[in-house]
Amino acid sequence: MTTTTHASFIIERRYEASPQRVFAAWADPAAKRAWFVEGEGWDIQSYQLDFREGGSERSTFRFLKGEEQFGEETVFGNESAFDEIVANERIIFTYAMDRNGARFSVSLATVEFKAAETGTRLIFTEHAAFFDGADGVNMREQGWQELLQKLGEHLAREI
Amino acid sequence: MTKRNTVHATFVIERDYAHAPSKVFDAFANPQSKVKWFGGPDEWEKSNHKLDFRIGGKESVSGGPPGGTVHAYNAAYWDIVPNERIVTSYQMHLDKQRISVSLATMEFKANGAGTTFVLTEQGAFLDGYDDAGGREHGTRELLNNLETFLKA
Repeated sequence: MTTTTHASFIIERRYEASPQRVFAAWADPAAKRAWFVEGEGWDIQSYQLDFREGGSERSTFRFLKGEEQFGEETVFGNESAFDEIVANERIIFTYAMDRNGARFSVSLATVEFKAAETGTRLIFTEHAAFFDGADGVNMREQGWQELLQKLGEHLAREI
Repeated sequence: MTKRNTVHATFVIERDYAHAPSKVFDAFANPQSKVKWFGGPDEWEKSNHKLDFRIGGKESVSGGPPGGTVHAYNAAYWDIVPNERIVTSYQMHLDKQRISVSLATMEFKANGAGTTFVLTEQGAFLDGYDDAGGREHGTRELLNNLETFLKA
């Protein structure tokens, strides 16, 4: 029998950049790749972003420690579809994660951009369904904490 | 700037059906079956129901009271395990206004000769047009329709 577990989490961050700039880091393929895809320990095999409602984002990346951690060469796939885009205010997307072709989670993510006194308050909310003993919400939340940290470093570099 | 707000909510509905998981699953998977129970009240005007039941496939139907607001449902299928699990992401619109985006998981579990069916909806309700209470109520009515369909 298959098993499914559901969980949700919220991460809030402040960035010293305008909502327009923070939003642009999600909308522009080169900027998004810089903080969302590139990273130590990963060999990026493909990446494409079609940032519009109904558009998709797809990436495949080889986990360099796959043999060590999973006992086999391990390629992850990420497929997203943009459900709603309100420029500088909100992005809603659905995404799936696959490991070696097997889907292990589907999530609904909402990113809200709110003008704060000296920058932007970003609220990231994820609703997720994890399948068949996948790692689950703690690892996922940690992953997004790291990504949103990298987004902040990307914005700081841009100035 | 327009005033945007997003309310997140989750609800779970569990139902026991006397029919085997394969029969309950088929009511979701087979377009000729699903059109018979999935939709608004009988008195509503309805569009054609379209269902491409495969991972990556889409589903759409819309309807509303004659001359009134059109309620539109658009879904994408993200995971399908025959007779066990279906995961969709779906949007609701009232006329042109998007009111929600939801992740819906349907689980079909053998329970004796019957099925325990569990629906989990994790939703983002947008800009004050709808809320989880209204959505859960509507979903329960659809599952009542499903039960009537299965018994027929």
